This record gives sequence, structure tokens and C-alpha cells, in this order.
Amino acid sequence: MDLRSRKLLDKTFSGMGFFSIGMLMLSLIIILAPIFIKGTGAFLFKGTIEFRKFNFEQFNRGKKTDLLKEEFKTGEARKYIYDLISKFEEQIEKDDIPDAYKYEDELEETIYHIKELLGPFPGEESPVMMRDRYGASRWDKAKEIRDRILFVETWDYSDKSSMGKLTLTPRINNFRGTILENMFPYLENNLDKLMLPQITFYWNFFFDKSFDSHLFGGIGPELLGTLYLILGTMIFAIPIGIITAIYLTEFAKPGKIINFINISISTLAGVPSIVFGLFGLAFFIMTIKVSNSKSVLAGSLTLALLVLPTIIRASEEALKSVPLTYKEAALSLGAGKIYTIFKVILPAALPGILTGIVISMGRAAGETAPIIFTAAVSVGNPLKLFETLSQPTPALSWNIYNLVTEHESVESIRHVQFGMVFALVLLVLLLNLTAIILRARISKKLRG
Amino acid sequence: MKNRTYHSILISKGTSRLRRLVSFFTRSWFFFITSISIFAVFLIILFVAKDALPYFHLRGIGEFFTSIKWYPASEPPEFGVLPIIFGSILVTILSTLISVPLALFSAFSLSDILPFSVRQVVKPIIEIIAAIPSVAYGFFALVIFAPFLQRSGGHLLGIGVWMIGMPLFGVIIIILGQAISGKFISSRSKISDFIIYSVLIVPAFHILYKLFKTLSAIKIESGTNAFNVSIILAIMALPTIVSVAEDVLFAAGREIREGSYALGATRAETLLKVVVPAVKSGIFAAVILGIMRALGETMVVWMASGNAAQIPDPIYNIMEPIRTLTATIAGDMGEADHVTGSARYHVLFAMALFLLIFSFAGNLISEWIMSRSRKKWGK
Repeated sequence: MDLRSRKLLDKTFSGMGFFSIGMLMLSLIIILAPIFIKGTGAFLFKGTIEFRKFNFEQFNRGKKTDLLKEEFKTGEARKYIYDLISKFEEQIEKDDIPDAYKYEDELEETIYHIKELLGPFPGEESPVMMRDRYGASRWDKAKEIRDRILFVETWDYSDKSSMGKLTLTPRINNFRGTILENMFPYLENNLDKLMLPQITFYWNFFFDKSFDSHLFGGIGPELLGTLYLILGTMIFAIPIGIITAIYLTEFAKPGKIINFINISISTLAGVPSIVFGLFGLAFFIMTIKVSNSKSVLAGSLTLALLVLPTIIRASEEALKSVPLTYKEAALSLGAGKIYTIFKVILPAALPGILTGIVISMGRAAGETAPIIFTAAVSVGNPLKLFETLSQPTPALSWNIYNLVTEHESVESIRHVQFGMVFALVLLVLLLNLTAIILRARISKKLRG
Repeated sequence: MKNRTYHSILISKGTSRLRRLVSFFTRSWFFFITSISIFAVFLIILFVAKDALPYFHLRGIGEFFTSIKWYPASEPPEFGVLPIIFGSILVTILSTLISVPLALFSAFSLSDILPFSVRQVVKPIIEIIAAIPSVAYGFFALVIFAPFLQRSGGHLLGIGVWMIGMPLFGVIIIILGQAISGKFISSRSKISDFIIYSVLIVPAFHILYKLFKTLSAIKIESGTNAFNVSIILAIMALPTIVSVAEDVLFAAGREIREGSYALGATRAETLLKVVVPAVKSGIFAAVILGIMRALGETMVVWMASGNAAQIPDPIYNIMEPIRTLTATIAGDMGEADHVTGSARYHVLFAMALFLLIFSFAGNLISEWIMSRSRKKWGK
């Protein structure tokens, strides 16, 4: 083979290398971008008057006078719609229009959607369900519902080979020639007057509890549960991990036992996370009964086993990288071995150990499979600290799964789902960023 | 005054004994804490096996591995785990096929091709890919990727053809052109090379275009399928393979590279013919760790694989929903845990045992290989 072709092959090879790295970065961007963009929409969005009403009535946030002013304004705008509907209902009752019975079903559906948009009609008593008590609280949802009022969706399944075809027909056609005809253009043109959208920064999204299966409110209990789990995991994992690392680096003599311990640790690292979950259920809950059923404690113990190898390995690396001269100097000054380890070696290795701890905090926050059977519930209140010993908790990771797959109306709470994923990913990324910065500082220090 | 100084320097016999005692106890205490890791591994095996064995007592071994009917809730129940094992193996193999080439080339870039400053940026990015929680990947797969596949999965496959085909055909063309010109043309010039290459490029493009056309026309019925899961699992397995392979490549050292360059080899030749053969066992270990990551992953497959316990028809149809061992354990435990003691409960532990054996074997193999290569490179 001549030189030119060999160089060409070499360039192809390098090109494939660059391409792979490019794909790596691209996949990260493709995954993170929608999570960050849509996740932001969970707490930074255009809120309607219904949102402010909800916020005032549930949390007493906002000024009453402002709200009353806004309610007055929207009340004026909405009056036209309510008047039209009540007039039309009267006409149907009195049989003033031909074929009045024809409109009944259609009107009922229209009213249902209007209630979705504007909340209960004036004079109606407050409904039990939170979702019936308020209209569309977000502007994007309001526009969706407006479209549902303006157009009738019909699905055509006649073509069996492909999926159903969606056709939209204007709902106004069903009310041609009646007074309700005027309502549709009014709704189309005056939606902002009906809803008064305003850009809202709902930072309490991360701290509020949720209402009516996440249709309203925030993700407070989930976030708190995740924090509890991180904390609990670390309480068990940090001492065990660091002591193990100290033993392995400072006390143990190379030999069969150490090999065996090392193999056990890497085996533990390789156990699938779902098996940890099963083990946690079978051992911590069913056998030694740390709690009667799922609890944060049981989940933390399970997660601690899961992150243990990470902490051990990181601490081991950190302890090994402490220069031998430190130890020799301490020992020569007459310090005992234990004193040397705790006062000299450990502080020197601390940044490295912290890196491992921070990374495993991220893992503890993100792992779902181990807590399914040991700690997580779908709906729950925020726990007090002592309740973590016996109570299960909602947690971000589990509730993301739960809301995406098992919620009654998955589509209508997309923003909450994205908000939760955003919170979890942000938490994990911040933890990892801390680790990266810590590590950069260590390597700087080592280089001098 | 004199006495006190003397006293503080020379440790008396009593303190020395106390010190030794404290030291002994600390040492034993530390050893006890250390052995928690060993206990944990033993307890995990013990408890999973303890709850798995009753299943085989109740139902025998045959059904588990041979039946393709998975109806745990019907009366009488059927526990054919074969399609589920098949699903696990399918997504593992597929994701490995996607991730290994990408990961190896990334590792090559990181160890030999990219300049140091770029490396410093890429490494944290790889760490971040590893750090993103699996449930976030699952969410992405289900909410964003699955609808996209359903809408325009064919186009994605088409683009994939170009991405794989271009470099592959490029290499083939260069080698073929080389062989042809070496055989038939005595005096070579740039023009003759150009003619040969362009003659070869035309059919290559034609083949690629045909493939692109056929694959683009594919309509995917359900976005939650084996293909979706495999791609996401491949991304998740990438960091493991890249970081281990990069370590191994780095550990091979400068000497063999410099030796190869001194003999006139190009970078590609040095890497592929000298460095990789020297560290192939380590790279194999990296691949095994990646496979284990994909096999043990739960949330992504649970959310986005479609969870249909079936063997695809035809068997290579990766666009069909499947179900994996991990997802079955996660999904069925919620329903099974109030029937503790039934076959339905124990079959899940049997699956976990199966997974555990696989992952232990994989880990031990990679550990063994790594320790051997460590010895070889004196580290």
C-alpha cells in the first residue's frame, strides 16, 4: 500500500474518531435540551387569572385587591358568553327554535369545555374536585381548550392499515342560525381578555405540595423525599465507605483476603439496580424489619449498598494519592498510626473523597429501581424528619415514572413531568459539576 | 521541670500497651466495617436465591426456559420466561452493537487523537452522560423519542445508513482502489487514482441510496420498541466503555507508540495494529462492563420497550415491542407483593437470580482480565 492511501486511511480513522466524539456530545444535547427548555416551562410560563386565583385561595399569595380588579375585568368579558348560553338554554327549554332537542348534546359538550376553560359558572356552588374549581391556569392550556371549543375532533378509522386520521370541523357549524353562533368568534378574538395571561415566575413550584393528582401545585414532597433519601443514604454509606477505604489502603496487607474484598466490592458494583430493590424488600423489610413496610430508612439502606462501591473506590484513590512523605513526617514526629490517619492523611485526601461522595449523592438521587419496593409511593405528604424511619415518601425519580405511565391524564400534566425531570437532572448535574470542579482543583494542586 | 520533659518524650510502658490495644481494636473494627461489602454480596445472593428456589420447587425448571407464554395473572398461570430472556438479550446485543464502535472510536480520540485541551472538555461531558439518572433517559425515550420514531423513524434509519455507510464504504473503496491500481496499472499517477476511485464511488453511492430509500420507507407502528430502547441503552453504556477503554489505552504507555511511529506507521496503524492488540483483553473487559450496564438497566426498558412478552415476528424485527427481565421484575412486583409465597412472587426472584448470575459472571471475567492486564503493564 502506498503512502498516499495509508494517509487517507489514517485521516478516515481520525475522522471517525471526531465523528464519535461529536455524536456523544450531540446525543447529550439532544437529550438535555428538551428537558431544560420544556422543564423551564413548568415554573416560568404565562399564567392566567385562574392561576392567580388558585394561588390566592390555596396559599394566600398575591394581593386581594389586584385579584378582585382582575376578576371584575374578566367577569365583564365572560358575561357575554354566559349570557349567550343562558339565553340559548332558555330558547331550547321553551322550544323557541326549530329542532331544539338537536342541540342539547352538542350544547352540553360545549359547556363542558367552557367550564374547563373558565371554571365553574357564576352562581354555581364550588365543586369538590380541584380541577373543576378552576379553569385553565396556564395560557398554553387555555389556547388548547379554546381550540377544542372551536373545533370538533373526529377520528377516522376506516383505513385499517394506518392509524386513525384526525379531522377538525368548526363547532360553529353545529350552531348555525342560533344565537350561540356569535359566541365562537367572540371566544376566538377575546381569549386574552377572558384569561388575562401574564408571565409568571412560579418558583414555589419546587416547594409547593401538589393538588388533585398533580393537576395543580408543585413538586415539593417529591423534592423533599429525594433529599431525605440522599441524606439517609449518605449517613450509612459515607462512614462505611471511608473506613473500608482506609482499611484497604492503610491496614490491609496484600494477599488473598484483600483480593477477595476487592472482588466483592466490584461484584457489588455490578449488581443490577433492580436486584438491589428486590434484596432491600426481602432483607431490610421482610427479614430484619427495619420498618413495617416501605420507608425512607429501608430505601436509604438499600441505596447505601448501591453507592458503597463508588465511595470506596473514590476514597481509595484519594487516600492512595496522598504523598507518602506526609505519613512519614507524621510518624517520625511520634504520632500514632490512627492519629496520623485521621489528622494527616484523611484531611489531605478529603477533596478526592468528597468528589466520590458528591457523585454518589447524584446516583442516590437518580436511582429509581432500588426504591420502588423499598421507599417510594406515588402520592404522599411531605414527611417530618422522624417520620422517615417508618414512612414511605414520594421521590422525584419514582414520581417521574409514575406520572408518565400511570397517571389518569398523562397529556394534561406534561409540564409537571418536565418540571420534575428538570429538577432531578438539574440536581444531579449540579452535584456532578461540584465533583468536576473539586477534581479540577485537586489536579491543579497536585501539579503545583 | 526536668522530670516532666523526660516523661512526655518517653512513652511509659503502660501507655504503650494501651496504645497497642486501641490500635488492635480499631484495626478489628475497621476490618469488620470493611467486611460489610462481602456480607452484602453474600446476603444478596442468599436472599435472592432463597426466594427463587421455591419457584423451581413449585413449577419445575422446564417451563421457565422453554415456554413462550407469559401469563402470570391468568388461571392457571403460565410462566414462560423465554420471550423475556430473549427481549433482554435482544436489546443488550443491539445496544452493544451501537455503542461499542462509537465508544471505541471515542476512546481512541480521547487517548491519541484529540489535543489535551479538548480532552479536558470531553471528559466531563462523558461523566455527565453517565450521571444523568436512568429515569430521565426513560422519560426522554418515552415522551420525546418514541413519538419521533413513530412520526419519522424511517428517516432516522435512512440517516443512520449514511452515517454507517460513508466511512465503511470509504475504507473499502480506498483498499479496493489500491488493490486494483497495484495490479493493473504499472505507472500510477493522481489521475489514474482519481479515475479508479470515482468508478468505485458511483456503485457505492448507488447501494447506499437504495438502502436509504428502502429504510426511509419503513413505517414504525409503535415508538416504544426494542430499537428505541437499544439506542438509549447504547448512549447510557457509552461512558462506561469509553472511560475503561481509554484508561486501558492510556496504560499501554508511550513506548510502544513511539516504537511504532519510529518504524513509519501512521497513527491509525499504530493504534489498530500495535496498541489495540497489546491491550485487547482490557478493551474486551470494557465492552463486558458496557454490556452489563445495558443488561441490568431497568427504568428505560420499563418505560419505553412496550412491555410485550413476545418474541418478535420475524425474529429480527427490532421495531416490535419487547419485554425484559428487569422491567418484568419492576412491573410485576407491585402486583405480586401481596401474594407473597405464590409462584408469581417467586418467579420474579428466579429472574433476578438469572440476572445476578449473568452480571456476576460478567464482572468476574472483566475483573480477571483487568487484573491480568494490570500485571502485564506493571501497574
